[in-house]
Amino acid sequence: MIPFDFEYYRPDTLGEAVGLFGRLEDEGKNPVWYGGGSELISMARAGNAAFGAVLDIKDVPELLGLGTDGENLTFGAALTLSDLIVSGSFPLLGKTAGRIADHTMQNKITLGGNLASTIIYRETALPLLLADAILTAAGKDGLHTYPIDAVFDGRLRLPKGEVLVRTAVPAAIAAAPYFHQKKTKNEKIDYPLLTTAAVVTGGRLRIAFSGLAPYPFRDRSAEEILNDGRLGADARAELFVKALSGVIQSDLSGSADYRKFVLKDTILNILEAVREEKLPCLC
Amino acid sequence: MPETGIGVAVPRKEAADKVTGGARYTDDHISPGVLTARTVTSTCAHGTIVSLDVSAARELPGVRAVLTGGDTDVLTGSVIEDRPPLARDKVRYYGEPVALVVADSDAVAARAVTLVQAAYAPLPVVNSPLEAVAPGAALVHEALGSYKKPVEDVYPEPGTNICDREKIRKGDIQKGFAESNVILRAAFDLPQTDHVAMETRAAQARIAADGSVYIHAATQGPFEVKKALSKLFALDEGKVIVQVPLVGGAFGGKAGTELEILAYLASKAVGGRPVRIRNDREADMTSSPCGIGLHAEMRLGAMYDGTIKAAEMTFLVETGAYTDTGPRMTKAIAADCTGPYNIENLSVDSLCVYTNHPYVTSLRGFGHTAMTFCMERMLDKLAAKLRFDPAKLREKNALKPGQTSPGQVKLTESSLGNLPACIEKVKYLIGWSNGIRTVSGGKIIAKGLCCFWKTSTSPPDAVSGALVSFNEDGTVNLNVGCVEIGPAMKTTAAQILSAALKMDVGRIHVNMDVDTRYSPRHWKTVASMTAFMVGRAVLSAAEDVKRQLVGLGAAVMKCAPEDLEVGDGRVYRKSDPAVHHVFKDLVHGYQFENGNAVGGQLFGRGSYVMGDLNYLDRETGKGKSGPYWTVGAQAVEVAYDEREYTYRLLRAATVIDAGKILNPAMAAAVVRGGMCMGLGKASREHFQYGPDGRVLDTSLRTYKVMHFAETPRYLVDFVETPNLDGPYGARGLGEHGVIGMPAALANALSLASGAELDELPLLPEKIWLKKTGGII
Repeated sequence: MIPFDFEYYRPDTLGEAVGLFGRLEDEGKNPVWYGGGSELISMARAGNAAFGAVLDIKDVPELLGLGTDGENLTFGAALTLSDLIVSGSFPLLGKTAGRIADHTMQNKITLGGNLASTIIYRETALPLLLADAILTAAGKDGLHTYPIDAVFDGRLRLPKGEVLVRTAVPAAIAAAPYFHQKKTKNEKIDYPLLTTAAVVTGGRLRIAFSGLAPYPFRDRSAEEILNDGRLGADARAELFVKALSGVIQSDLSGSADYRKFVLKDTILNILEAVREEKLPCLC
Repeated sequence: MPETGIGVAVPRKEAADKVTGGARYTDDHISPGVLTARTVTSTCAHGTIVSLDVSAARELPGVRAVLTGGDTDVLTGSVIEDRPPLARDKVRYYGEPVALVVADSDAVAARAVTLVQAAYAPLPVVNSPLEAVAPGAALVHEALGSYKKPVEDVYPEPGTNICDREKIRKGDIQKGFAESNVILRAAFDLPQTDHVAMETRAAQARIAADGSVYIHAATQGPFEVKKALSKLFALDEGKVIVQVPLVGGAFGGKAGTELEILAYLASKAVGGRPVRIRNDREADMTSSPCGIGLHAEMRLGAMYDGTIKAAEMTFLVETGAYTDTGPRMTKAIAADCTGPYNIENLSVDSLCVYTNHPYVTSLRGFGHTAMTFCMERMLDKLAAKLRFDPAKLREKNALKPGQTSPGQVKLTESSLGNLPACIEKVKYLIGWSNGIRTVSGGKIIAKGLCCFWKTSTSPPDAVSGALVSFNEDGTVNLNVGCVEIGPAMKTTAAQILSAALKMDVGRIHVNMDVDTRYSPRHWKTVASMTAFMVGRAVLSAAEDVKRQLVGLGAAVMKCAPEDLEVGDGRVYRKSDPAVHHVFKDLVHGYQFENGNAVGGQLFGRGSYVMGDLNYLDRETGKGKSGPYWTVGAQAVEVAYDEREYTYRLLRAATVIDAGKILNPAMAAAVVRGGMCMGLGKASREHFQYGPDGRVLDTSLRTYKVMHFAETPRYLVDFVETPNLDGPYGARGLGEHGVIGMPAALANALSLASGAELDELPLLPEKIWLKKTGGII
């Protein structure tokens, strides 16, 4: 039970949604966007979220697109994780979505909701970070596009009042050899101890993590270490772990030291898979 | 299709209701005008309540009452009365109720909760069982010496955190160790875990104008709730009416009296109006009681030939902030400490210790899961040391009829059952002879085995009863006082009556709910004793029915009662079954052709009392705590990844000597359920605490239970050595699937990894730490 009153709106169009959000905000209603609801409902029930209005946008047509736009594949923000899994157009995104929560929740959780989540893992960000995705958001003054790095800094930070409409990913990267591995404390359906996503494109390895730090990230300078052909696999893995050690967290899923072990092991796995051209590799 | 008796897979009688969602549980019953209560709980694990301001909550429209510890002076506890329903002066665990809000709706109650302002001055915390007994430890209960004890046999040590000490002294421990060729030592740590029943705890109360108190609750012990409320609040027992519908899983967690007290206090505060209270999952996990933690140290002495000569054990059973049934589990651990093995020289101290963690109550296995983990790890260590096959070592030391329990009870085939037969069968199921550590596909495939035994820790005067009445069509109504908490107890009771009356179980109707006014008293639906106790009462009622039926039949059929037999809903001549009368014509009086009627309404009554149990001697533990044992053997097979220290559960097997299987489908299902729960405890479940004692796993987001898709293949089989005291030879079968799973998994993983894994849960990180010392 959510112990406070709030207004519920279900706009039919994107324009209506953005206009309504602005109006509710002006009225001091503290509106929130509502996709699958899994987080808002459970957080509000436990007293960890408060809002005066919800805007249910899961049926807004512009947010449900799944298609191509020139050289890019596009994914609407209100697509569910299950939609991403079934579509198959970006296998790494599908695999990543398929290891978030359980099947029932995958039918609810949306791409936009996962990216904007207050829960720290936001695993769907990993493939998008690797693909240098372009995000399209709608505001009062129309659509805006942003490179993911400009608006995703561990979590989605769109200008106030804007809502994510879709994300575009180069088809070439969506089709690139990839690696995905989710390690948990022990239970399969759990938050990540370490989720690793990687692609090889243009002969270079790109890699991103969730669970390692209290936010998902891709560290381009650390990636250089992994792509340094002068070093052996062990040396690269060790230097890489060292380079990231400042951000590695301890939490209920595991200690920082254990995460370092798992990270190093994962890097060795990836380097071996790349060397032996065994990608895609799902571990 | 008509089905008669036992040994048949009769579908549970409430099955259709359950699978269609039609079954109704406590909080599904909403009466008009019912108010809702919610607790305000402590955010501090140990602290003085400096201030508790409820004024803003009281002023919120729709709030009818706000109670705090000052509003009631009772202390509760079935063994030691140490727990205030609402904290007074200080809080002793994170999640402890400090105030109770009663409001028109759940929403208002939830808002009011946020308006209560509590401030605590933190006290030093007791954050583990070892800290509890450390010199200079903070005291969780300063007044331990002055608490009332409703039972004789509990031994608190005032001025310490020890609320009970149970001892076993058997044989000559010095001599036993002196005669041993090898001596092993080890220490074990097991965390507190949760019950995670699907239905969270719930209760409702109303007080009628005549003072009658109606309690509607999800409880395993309606008659205990009645007794407890009557005693605590000086109410006539007959005016406390406890009604229990179907209970959605309990696992021991609903055996105490907890929310019922809060519901009563709430109703009393609002002039007797009906009040409901229901835990949300988070409150169910942290505020209501969980399962014990344990620190244990063991020393085992054995001969080169594998014979165990002596054992010294210390158990620190973590009861958390209050005792509840902690001392009883401490006693159960002592009484069964050896497992099903013959150890003639024993010195055991089992201590129940307070900590500043959530308090505990019984949890499936009643301490046996924890105790078995320690003992069965010791056996595998011994097997490794002596280069013995672990199964063979167990067979060699298995208790035999004529030998004695740790409490020096002489064992018989009937009271003990056949462990070697269980071991043999479980070895076959898991493929023991194909190798217990092999390599396949880059993974180490390892098998771990363990044995267990369990008896109850019931009071000698634990009773059960059965009442039988008839419908006019000759069908039977059976009324028993056990609660249907999941394992089809009611159906089993009907099956037993069906066997005794030799009639179709479909023509026997059994009460799914319990009402303490109308149902015969049943001690509590706990301890895997229900089929045994209820079954005995049902058999006794069936005899009463048969005696009356043949009596009436003899008068009507003009023959001697001994010439008659009862079966298939008829009373018939043994010599010529065609000469008969159907129940329909007898059970509401027999009417002669001339219109005269005799006999009247027929009722059957039966009862059972545990009887020949006794208290354990304070110094030696000598005594009989339960009527018989249920023994079993279990095994787990894993695929272990040496590089990652991770593993997968492949197969798990259980063979139990059930005495007699009453319902094969239910028996296998309840064992599989137990195995699943046991593997969850083994592999992932634990409460974690901050340095300040706060519970960190407050929800199922981070407290993980077994996910259905991760369950291994379950293999279940039985041995049937009749328990001569049991209904049709049956032994208790309920909790047992859980007991050995952690031990079997730890044995498999220790064998696979080469590390001694003596802590739960068995997380890859722990194995990594043990193998590498944490060096990356």
